[in-house]
This record gives sequence, C-alpha cells and structure tokens, in this order.
Amino acid sequence: MTQETPSPLLHLSQDHLGHGAEVVLRDLNIRLLPGERIALLGASGAGKSTLLEALRAALQQRDVAAAWCPQRQGLVPQLSVYHNIFMGRLDQHSRLTNLLNLLRPKPAHWQAVATLCEPLGIASLMERSVEALSGGQRQRVAIARALYQGHDLFLGDEPVASVDPHQASQLIQLIHARHTTSVVALHQRELALTHFTRVIGLGKQADGQGHVLLDVATDGLTPGDLDFLYPAAATRESSDVS
Amino acid sequence: MSADPSTMTAELRHPPRWWQARSDGARLLRLGGGLTIAMLVLVPFADLSVTSRDPWQELGRMLAGLASPAPGALESPLHALILTIAFALWGTLLGALIGLPLALVYSRSRLLRGVCAGLRAVHELFWALLLLQVFGLSAATALAAITIPYAATFAKVYAEILEQLPQAPLKALPWASSRAMRFVYAELPMAWRRMASYTRYRFECGLRASVLLGFVGLPTLGFYLESAFREGRYAEAGALLWIFYLLIATLPWWGHRRVLPVLAIASLWWLGPWPEVSPTLLWRFISHDIWPAPLVNASFESLTSGELATGLLQWASHLADLLPAIGNTLLLGLLGTAGSLLIAMLLWPLASRHVGNRLSQHSTNGLLIFLRTTPELILAFILLLLLGPSLLPAWLALALHNGAIIAFLCARHANQIQLPPSRPQGKFECWLYELNPRVAPGMFALLLYRAETIIRETAILGMLGVVTLGFHIDSSFEYLMFDQAFALLVLTAILNIGVDSLARRLRPSGEISEDSCVC
Repeated sequence: MTQETPSPLLHLSQDHLGHGAEVVLRDLNIRLLPGERIALLGASGAGKSTLLEALRAALQQRDVAAAWCPQRQGLVPQLSVYHNIFMGRLDQHSRLTNLLNLLRPKPAHWQAVATLCEPLGIASLMERSVEALSGGQRQRVAIARALYQGHDLFLGDEPVASVDPHQASQLIQLIHARHTTSVVALHQRELALTHFTRVIGLGKQADGQGHVLLDVATDGLTPGDLDFLYPAAATRESSDVS
Repeated sequence: MSADPSTMTAELRHPPRWWQARSDGARLLRLGGGLTIAMLVLVPFADLSVTSRDPWQELGRMLAGLASPAPGALESPLHALILTIAFALWGTLLGALIGLPLALVYSRSRLLRGVCAGLRAVHELFWALLLLQVFGLSAATALAAITIPYAATFAKVYAEILEQLPQAPLKALPWASSRAMRFVYAELPMAWRRMASYTRYRFECGLRASVLLGFVGLPTLGFYLESAFREGRYAEAGALLWIFYLLIATLPWWGHRRVLPVLAIASLWWLGPWPEVSPTLLWRFISHDIWPAPLVNASFESLTSGELATGLLQWASHLADLLPAIGNTLLLGLLGTAGSLLIAMLLWPLASRHVGNRLSQHSTNGLLIFLRTTPELILAFILLLLLGPSLLPAWLALALHNGAIIAFLCARHANQIQLPPSRPQGKFECWLYELNPRVAPGMFALLLYRAETIIRETAILGMLGVVTLGFHIDSSFEYLMFDQAFALLVLTAILNIGVDSLARRLRPSGEISEDSCVC
C-alpha cells in the first residue's frame, strides 16, 4: 500500500495564539487534510473557539472558502429565517438582487432555502423572525446558513450545543453529507467518536496555558480515553462509581 | 442541492409576497411603504408652490449673514439671553415641582390622565398666546406657557419611570407605610437618576421653547431673531443664531447640576416684568370671553325657545369654514411624518461608523446637529422667507428637523451594534441585512412617537402664515375672538390626542430612549 498522502489543505504551525497579550494556546502544529472529519474537544475555555478562528483566518489567507457556523450564531433577530439563511450567499449576488430579495424573494432562492430547511425541520418556520425561535431552532438556522454557503469545508463552533444528543447526531450527519471536510468543536464526546475520523483535544497544562493534549484518529478510542480532557467531569464520574 | 419543487407544498414553492409576509420586518416595510404611498398620493393636494422671487439669492444672503455674524449690531443680546435662560429654567423647575406630586397619583386617576393629555396637547406657543390675553407680555405668561404643558409631561414621564422600577424594595416595606413614605424611601432613590436626567433633557427643550416665545412678542432671543430675519438684517440674525447654538452646545458646562441652582437664583433678578392682573378681568376672561357667546348669554327662555340651539349652530357654522385648515393640518402632519422617515433613512447610514467613511460621518453629524438644534419654527420661518407662504417650507422644516433627530438616534444605535465576524463583506450588504433590520424597529418606534410632536408643530407653523389650524388660532386672538380661539385650541388638542393614540397603535414594541421625545 503506497497510498500517497494528499497535500494538506492547511498547515497551521504557530508558537502561540491568543487575544492581544493573553496567550490562549501554545505550540500549535496542526495539519488539515482534505476529507478529514476533525472533532475539537476540550473543557470550556480550553481554546476551541480561538483555534477555529485561527483556522478560519489562515484559510481565508490561502483563499480556501469555508462554511462557517459561529458559536454566537450571528443571526439577525429581526429578519426572517429565510433571510438569515440567504445571508450565507450575499457575496454571490448583485446588490439589486440582495435588495429585491428583502422585498420579494425569487422563487428559485426560496425553493433552494426550503430544500435545505426541510431535513433540518425548519421549513415551516421560514417566514418567522428569528427572535421568535427557540435556542435549538436558532441553531438549525445557523447551520442552514452555513450549509447554504455551499463550500466543501465546514468549520463549526459548537453548532449542536443546544439540541438533544439524538438530534445532534442527525445534524452532524447532515453537515457531513454536504461537506467533504469538517472541523467541528463539540462538547459531546460520544458524537466525536461516532461521527469523526480524528480528535484534537485541547486543555491546560501545568504552565496554565492551553496546549494540544491529544491529536489522534478516532479508531479504537473509547470515551474513557477522553476523560482526562475534562478534569472535573472525570472526578465526578469516578466518584459516582465508588 | 437537489431542489425538486414538484414535491414541495405550495408554501415552500412560493415565497410570500411582501404584503402578505408575516415577519416583523415585513410589517415595518408595509408601514413605511404605506406612509410613502400615502405621501405620494396626497402631495398633489398640498399647495407646494414657491412664491418668492429669487429664493437662491435670498438663501445666499442668509448664509452670508450666518458666515459673517455681526454681534455688535445687537441691541441687548445679554438681556435677551438671560431672559431666555431664566424662562426655561424656572418654567422647567416649576413644571417638575408640580409634575412630581401628580405623578404619584397619575396611574390611579383617569381624570388626571385626561387633563394632562389635554394640557400636553397644546403647544407652548399657544399657551403663551392664550395667557398673553390675561397676563400681557410678562414673565408670568412666559413661565406659565412653559410650566403648564411641562408639568403635564413630567407627571406622565415620572409616572412611567416609577412604574418601571423593580417592585421588590417596595414590597419589602411595612404594609402601613404611607404613599409619601414609600415614595421618599423606596421610589425616589431608585428613580432619581432617570428622573433627573429626563428633567435636564427637558430643560434643553425648555430653552428651545423659550426662544420660540419671542415669536409672540416676549423679549427672548426669538424676538430679536424674528425681527432681524424679517427685516433682512441677516448678519444680526446670524449672530443671534450663533448665540443660540453656543448656548445649546455649551449646556453640559453651564448646565452642571452645581451651577444650575446658582443660575436659577441669580436669574430671579432679571425675571420680569411682572403683570398687574385685575381679578375681575381675569374672571371675566375665564368665565365669559373664552366660551361661545350664545352659550354665555343664554337665559332660561332662550333654552326653551330653541334660540340657544340656533345661536350655537350659527356660532359653530363659523367654525365650519375651518375645515380646509383641519385638512391642511392633517395633510402637513402626514407629509411631515413620511418626509421625516425618508430623511432619517437617508441620513443615518451616512452618520454611522459601519457604513459611512470618516468624511461622511463628520459631515453628516455636523448637518444633523445643525438641523436638530434649530427649532422647527425657526427652520420653517427661514424657509418661509425663502420660498413664500405655502405648505412647502413647513413640510421641509418638519421633515428635516424630525428626520435629523431620528437619524441621529438611529446612527447612535447602529454604532452600538457589534457586527459578528461573519458579517457580509460589502458595506451595502452590511447595511441592508445586518444593520437595517436591527435599527428599523427603533426607527419606526421613534417616528411614530414623533408623529404627535409633528402634528403639534404643524399647528403652530400656522402662526407663520401657513394655513393650518394655528393660523386661525393666531388670527382669532388677533381679532379678539377669544371664544373661537379657545374652541380651536380645544379642537387642536383633540386632534393631537387622536393622532397620538393612532400612532401608539401602529408603533412597534421597541425600546425608546428617554431623550427620543425631543420637544
């Protein structure tokens, strides 16, 4: 088997990442290959969002388009679900189209968005203002907006945080069905093992700064192997057993 | 994506039309569209002719006057300035003192709410015209003209502030605490800041009102401003306008809470002249002059013989001539509101940091400050001199002044919005999809809030010769037909209250900041 390794989409090698003077992550060396499904794990504050932002910025520099589903979903509460999803492709239409779309959507656009919304279960909400939706529904709208961008690569910052595990699994499947490559921050370990090919675990080391503690394929990994990423959770579970 | 329209339900196949769409945005779109269409339909009915000979040359002379003001030519600028401040300060202060106790019972008394709505609905200038008949050109007229409507406004706004207070501290008080003690111990400390800031803000409005009182002859800045403009002494008028702008611009310094009490006491020295009021004349005015003559002169026989009824009918038939004026008032109110909307929509993006560039931000902000600081009446007066007495100058003044206020507040709102990093690249798209949807509800709330102010201003623009209700009120007073003037004042008030309640019904439920109800 002399399968050639495909050339990476991105090689992020950086001494440190952070906001201003505050260092969030150190000693990064991450290769992103086409076709990979990477789950980012780590306790909150471990630097998942920072890493994703850095990936996004680096991809943008290399002119690699990526669908982006941010943590604070970036939706406009006063606009309808349809318009919020349409915003994923604002850069691909003329100003006039974008303007007229607010007054009267073109049937083609409407149907394209409707097709996306159906598997997400929000097709009947397309006319509603986003501010009238529940947290889970908003999350689906944010995912739909990312899907609507129609790129091969998907970056998501906890895109399934406010839905139940069963729905989360369905949403991840949908995301994967529409993108060849994905990097998704998660807080459900089980999802990471069942739906992703690779796990990057982030956490604080003794120096008080974030590091990549784990970067392995998911084959053969068990949830227990990931416990150490969540110090508090691990102690709680062990105390439950005893 | 495999869109297969044939398997979709009709709802998914066809996008909603904008007049059917159910989202909040679509509702606002319909409201704005409706206003604009109404404006376009009604414009042919408005007299928008330009009757002056060479408006551009006149405008050039005015701008030259503004550019090279001649403060030396002013007769007694200091006295006018002090009087302007004194009337505003004491009028606002007395209004607050009267309004505060009223606020405590405001929510419980329907009668009080009705009376306050009526008092508020009459513009300060009309109060001045009415009071002038009793107190003459005196400080009493000026003070009461500001105090009466302001007390009614304070009663309402203070009551609203008190209503919005957290209830827990009130409930924690012992049951038997009296209303006054509850107020002093719980409500006042919590509400103090907001009430003080509203009162301050109202004082700024009072300054503008005080200037306007000059238009009925009281010796404030407006008096000299009017005569200077009317007689074409534009360098003097320019100087007076600059004094007024400086007065407003430096308000944060001289209006400091430590300075104001000193100023209030010192200004008492200049406050005057005080009238000599004959109680019999006053009583005659209140009990006789302002009521329809047939009603006042009625005897028991006239009531039974039907003479009273015919007399009253005859009296009322004079008022019927005023129907066109009512139409003009409403027309101008609608045109002004729609015009304000268009001006606001055009100007706020240019003044906001997300859409405008540095140049457009600074220049638009400068323009907005100029337009919103200049009272409508003065703006209308200047435009009237330029364009002649049609609805056009009044419309322009209303749209520019109110549009500028709304644009300023919208731009401030837009500047507070933090756009997500995933925002659209282009500024146009950013405005269209990220900013506009967020700003529009507040903009419409403001616009409808101001609709009542606009209709009130519409009436007083009549004093400049635009044929609205105010025109007839002004001339009724001039011909000493107090009964007719009073009836028209009541009619104006009813009209204002009606427009206000209509606007309130249309208003989207958005947060409105305190200073959005600029006089």
